[in-house]
Amino acid sequence: MKKWSLKITALMFVLILFSILCIYPLIYLLFYSLKSNQEIFYLNPFGFPIELKFENYVNAFNAFNIVGYFKNSVIVSGVSIVGVIILSLPFAYAVSRMKWRLRGVASTYLTMGLFIPIQVIIIPLAILVKQLHLANTYFALIVPYIAFNLAFSNMILSISFASLPKEMEESAFLDGASIYRTFIKIMVPLVKPAIATAITFIFLSVWNEYTVASILISNNSVKTLPVGLASFTGEHATDWGAMGACLIIASVPAIIIYSVFSEQVEKALTIGGAVKG
Amino acid sequence: MNKMLGNKRAICLFVLPTLLVFTVFVFYPILQTFYRSFYDWDGINAAIFTGLSNYKELFQDDLFYESLKNGVIFAAILLVVQVGSATLLTFAMLNRHVKGKRFFRTAFFIPVVLSVTVVCQLWSAIYNPEFGLLNKLFEILGLSYKQNWLSDMKLAIYAVTFVNVWQFTGYQFTIIYAGAKAIPEDYLEAAMIDGASGWKMNLKIILPLLRDTYRMCVVFAVTGGLNAFAHMNLLTKGGPGTSTYTLTYMTFRNAFIIGEYGYGCTSAVILVLQCLIVTIIINRIFTRKEAVTY
Repeated sequence: MKKWSLKITALMFVLILFSILCIYPLIYLLFYSLKSNQEIFYLNPFGFPIELKFENYVNAFNAFNIVGYFKNSVIVSGVSIVGVIILSLPFAYAVSRMKWRLRGVASTYLTMGLFIPIQVIIIPLAILVKQLHLANTYFALIVPYIAFNLAFSNMILSISFASLPKEMEESAFLDGASIYRTFIKIMVPLVKPAIATAITFIFLSVWNEYTVASILISNNSVKTLPVGLASFTGEHATDWGAMGACLIIASVPAIIIYSVFSEQVEKALTIGGAVKG
Repeated sequence: MNKMLGNKRAICLFVLPTLLVFTVFVFYPILQTFYRSFYDWDGINAAIFTGLSNYKELFQDDLFYESLKNGVIFAAILLVVQVGSATLLTFAMLNRHVKGKRFFRTAFFIPVVLSVTVVCQLWSAIYNPEFGLLNKLFEILGLSYKQNWLSDMKLAIYAVTFVNVWQFTGYQFTIIYAGAKAIPEDYLEAAMIDGASGWKMNLKIILPLLRDTYRMCVVFAVTGGLNAFAHMNLLTKGGPGTSTYTLTYMTFRNAFIIGEYGYGCTSAVILVLQCLIVTIIINRIFTRKEAVTY
């Protein structure tokens, strides 16, 4: 019995130590977003703020263009999600349930997208975006984001469609419903959980995307949060409190999504990353 | 039924838009990358076919070897530290008497959902030589170990790598832990009856059953390391000097800073080939005769 409790204590110690390593930097960030430079640098670098400086958040809104970046991120993420779902739902339905000869080929072709690192296509993509006159518009990001996320979304939705019994369509057709009506009214509602997983994954990957956005966007007025925050260096970076407040504000949506749908998010990200690997 | 599901017009309507978007914005650019790697091209004027000369130039470029070396360092550290600590954490969490599992899982995973920019801005504050958390910590502990973490030629690559380790160890943990939890109880009970327990159980029974999970994690860590870009760009801009360049960073610089798009495509091609070869090797190492089915 004694040996057991010693072992458990050791295990708990390791786990607690590691969770502190994961969480303390974020707590440090939260704390310093509410402190003055004086306090962060000299008086109280580690602990809870002595004097809560909520002005940092006011400064974040006023001095930094955080509202603009936030709005851009919302627009880009929202339109990308809608675009991916509208495109991939019918595609996934057609390759998983409809009868045609090339469906295997089409599905494999799109699945390739899971294995292509973005770095490989970024140069031609940047030129393409320029040639299509999309540079420095929302669509410079939205269109590539939709294209990159099709493969994953199709995979999740196809698996879900394929698991439904074929009687679903049979009875709808007998009732005289067209293929379009059957698809929209009967089939799509049945894969709602898969749609939710796909949306979670697309949201997090688009909301946090940095590499493509940093290369394709230079105009301040269309920058998303990850690129906008990265440009806060030099003069801005000297106001640590307001900078910290910006980082917190930018993270709130992802943290909320994670705390509400934690299982869903873990599942979506691990499946997504796993096949990507 | 079959007539309905074989409706050609419906199929075209359902399939073509997706294929079009994917082809134009993913597939066509890949072909372009390979094709343009044989050209001298600034992205604006007409490209000039130069055969293999970009490749020759690349193999004589010192920066290429430095980038390659940094990619390997990055990948090796991710592999050993991330997958290693994720494994130890999984073993600890598999113990029945450990309390607070939900809390630990959440704590490990939170950094994963944050944007890489937020994480890098936070860590460049932590690494700040004058006011950062890390040097303050050494100061308080009375250790004279203060460093210029990100501006030291030797240290920078490790400091940058650590940020990635910090952010994504929880990710690897979540995959491995989910894999371990999926092993049916009776497997483990049978092993227990045969006298396996504790470490022996972990190493001899659980690890071999997780072979496919580990293959995934290893591919993810290694290709993630070789592809590294965002952390470098955000924390050090490849510097000090060129000490934190990776192949992706080199591609980025060649194309978007120097304006040599053709040469940039060349390093991108090498990058794909490198990732492809490494993935094949890893798959070979992890291949087994029969798959595990429960």
